[in-house]
Amino acid sequence: MRYPRKRAVTAVATLVAGALALSACAQGGGGGPKTTNAAPTRTQDAQAASKVKVGTAEDSKGPAAAEPGATKGGTVNMIDRDDFTHLDPARIWLNYYMTASKLFTRQLTEYKLAQDGSLTLVGDLATDAGTTEDGGKTWKFTLKDNIKWQDGSPITTADIKHSFERIYADFTPEGPPYAEEWLLPEGKKYKGPYDGEHLDTVEAVDDKTIVFHLNSPHPDFNFTVAMTGYGAVPKKHDTKEKYDKMPFSSGPYKIVSHVTDKSMDLERNEHWDPATDAIRNAYPDKWHMEFGVQALQSTDRFIADNGADKQTLTFHNPVATERIQQVVGDPELMKRTVQGLTPFTTFYNINNSRVKDVKVRQALISAFPMQQVRQLQGGELGIGKFASTIISPTVLGHEPFDLYGQQTKPQGDPEKAKKLLAEAGQPNPTIVYAYNQTPTQEKVTVAIKTGLEKAGFKVVTKPLNPATYYDAIGKLDNPYDVYWSGWATDWPTGSTAITLTYDGRKIAAQQPNYSHFNDPDVNAAIDKASAIVDPAEAGKAWAALDKMIMEKAPIIPEFYQSYFGLYGSGLGGVKFHPVTGEQYPNDVYVKQ
Amino acid sequence: MYRFLVRRILGAAMILLIISALTFFLFFAIPRDPAAFACGKLCTPETLEIVRRNLGIDEPVFLQYWHWLVGIFTGRDFTYGHCDAPCLGYSFVNQEPIFQALVDRFPTTLSLTFGAAVVFLLFGIGMGMIAAARQGRPADKIASSASLIGASMQIYFVGVLATWVLVDQLQIIERPSYTPLTENPLQWFYGLLLPWLVLSIIFTANYTRMTRSSMVEQLGEDYVRTARAKGMSARTVFLRFAWRGAMGPVITIFGVDLGVLLGGAIITEQTFSLHGIGELSIKAVINQDLPMLLGVILVAATAIVLFNIVVDAAYAFIDPRVRLS
Repeated sequence: MRYPRKRAVTAVATLVAGALALSACAQGGGGGPKTTNAAPTRTQDAQAASKVKVGTAEDSKGPAAAEPGATKGGTVNMIDRDDFTHLDPARIWLNYYMTASKLFTRQLTEYKLAQDGSLTLVGDLATDAGTTEDGGKTWKFTLKDNIKWQDGSPITTADIKHSFERIYADFTPEGPPYAEEWLLPEGKKYKGPYDGEHLDTVEAVDDKTIVFHLNSPHPDFNFTVAMTGYGAVPKKHDTKEKYDKMPFSSGPYKIVSHVTDKSMDLERNEHWDPATDAIRNAYPDKWHMEFGVQALQSTDRFIADNGADKQTLTFHNPVATERIQQVVGDPELMKRTVQGLTPFTTFYNINNSRVKDVKVRQALISAFPMQQVRQLQGGELGIGKFASTIISPTVLGHEPFDLYGQQTKPQGDPEKAKKLLAEAGQPNPTIVYAYNQTPTQEKVTVAIKTGLEKAGFKVVTKPLNPATYYDAIGKLDNPYDVYWSGWATDWPTGSTAITLTYDGRKIAAQQPNYSHFNDPDVNAAIDKASAIVDPAEAGKAWAALDKMIMEKAPIIPEFYQSYFGLYGSGLGGVKFHPVTGEQYPNDVYVKQ
Repeated sequence: MYRFLVRRILGAAMILLIISALTFFLFFAIPRDPAAFACGKLCTPETLEIVRRNLGIDEPVFLQYWHWLVGIFTGRDFTYGHCDAPCLGYSFVNQEPIFQALVDRFPTTLSLTFGAAVVFLLFGIGMGMIAAARQGRPADKIASSASLIGASMQIYFVGVLATWVLVDQLQIIERPSYTPLTENPLQWFYGLLLPWLVLSIIFTANYTRMTRSSMVEQLGEDYVRTARAKGMSARTVFLRFAWRGAMGPVITIFGVDLGVLLGGAIITEQTFSLHGIGELSIKAVINQDLPMLLGVILVAATAIVLFNIVVDAAYAFIDPRVRLS
């Protein structure tokens, strides 16, 4: 999943994505303020987050489980910094747009969010989470009865087939690439359904049954199609490029007005039947969204809690860094917060093409002064928890481990690093550290240089222009040894955490394997894990692979980023969603 | 007068043409590819090419500029639809014609600017005149000190503070918002009251200081002394002679300020979440949205050039020694 690029860049630049974790396992502590004893109303803890399962047909039946104390009616306001640049599902690969789409776009599958933050993959438009009988190469979904578009016409398999075919059109390059790659027969070029050509790999067997024939097995394809990027688009009302401005609703609300960068208003879609929807409660009658509100402004409005702001939430704006102390020190405010780990993890890539000795790479991890790095960015509350694995706690099967003492000695262990360097026969290797030239990163770089030099490294720092940072580190022959990046899983299984970033066969310029890690054993293990159909077993295999990769030290895990947000006192049912890493709209209600 | 206007308008058109060309070519001189920005995290060369085509940046820069220029007079067709003349381009980020976006945003900026201008002109000139008339007395010292404090303030500080105190805590002013004047004049007034006041704090200071120093200078001029010697009352000398002479520099600054504010009060709009030209410009920079960037720069340049012409014309009315020839 893409996090807002601007925000990801900002994260590179300031590494403060406004993301916070307030749970009490700060190892070594950050520089952040002390937390109050008051618990937030919605804490999605790491244990619950890793509880991801695939539900049954029974789980997929509507209506959604009622939110305790919820009542129907009223208007919920949403304030955030940015407008939704895209509303056409095929052009959505950004968590913020996905959150909004939950109100008016439905997919074949979706996640049911339990009160403890755990997730169950269930059928959304489909009667269940899909079935495969050949190890994930062929997937069958059956559509529910009474699912309708906003004009009352039925949603059919022809619409679903059309939705998957149009992801190949030239005007939808921004969406996720998975189904596009997996549904294309080898050697075939396809440009979408608009010139009358169709894909045989998406087979609408009848009005209710649709079968996907993938070009390779993907046992978690049912997770893939839960992405908004594979949301349903009506064949009859597909306005191609213009669909992005005004999508046709299959969900509980329809868009009644959208003024770019200013506001968006939603009203009930009277043709949405709650009995067909196991996920959405749709309590409010209307949604009013207002854009251009910065994090500090939204935080102040939530703190003041006046007038209509009482019935207001934000999808993405976190509590502004300047107000964290005030919020965590006020038990009343803490009652109106949501928090949890996002799927976004950050790390420092070690360029494996240049730093070839595994002992030197391990020494880099051991010596890395992560505590100082975090302290400079607001501590645990300002950025997140220390990471020591590739797979985030939000992913199915996540197993915690700490091979290099990053949890126990986050300040760095120069003595251990010196030993490793001695074993490598390189007591003073030169390391070129490339970083984004921002004020915060300048300071962080000093801390990193100091920490690594304590272990014997000679550190050469190379500032990079923030505008071209990714271009520079994405070059295969880049002249740097260590550089930062991050990754958000597109769905909570290990495959999206690992396959694109650590499969050596996918190394290419400007692709996400920035560390150029290529290990034949790992590649083989990726193939093996990718073939496991049972999600729980696959989870174990990906967790084992996580450890196997980290033993070879291709990266220096940095943080599991977290989210900490506020909302108005007049709302109930506001939760954190671990897949989008934002506030979740489907159970929100106006307190009467 | 006619010749003056024609000459200045032609000059202004030339300036705008040069500014648009400079902006266009400088944008492409930056190292970042705008297409890469919209291409996603698994951006393949093929996808990048499609995005470039969709953004209309796959042609040579000179050709793109020519098409942009022609489009102003003839309109243009884009992948996403037709853009009527005057077509200033199409924003692929906002997915709307630039001209439409500017037209939608301009009333907010216009209301913000003129409302604030009324307040800061009234207070600024008024305080400056009082200070000049009461030189060295407490009124002068208070006005001078207040203007010094005001000049040291920043919108992003005063704005946030004023919102917190007046809106969030005391709740005596409405949260800033824009309602069209034609739709609800009262709501328009209340919604913009706080931004006007905050903007005025900063600007009033300059006008107070400028008016005071100009008035003091004029009061020492020969013609003022002559007027006094002829037996005119201090009030007549002050208001009829010295005041007119002192307004020249004030009007010059006012023309520039008005132009700059109409081009987008970026920080004010951001601070108060107002959706005007300023907010549009900052987003265009962040999103590397060249057509939008060109549009807002042209609006700003037009406003500044236009008000310079107005100021030059206004001189003639204020100071009879100035001729528009």
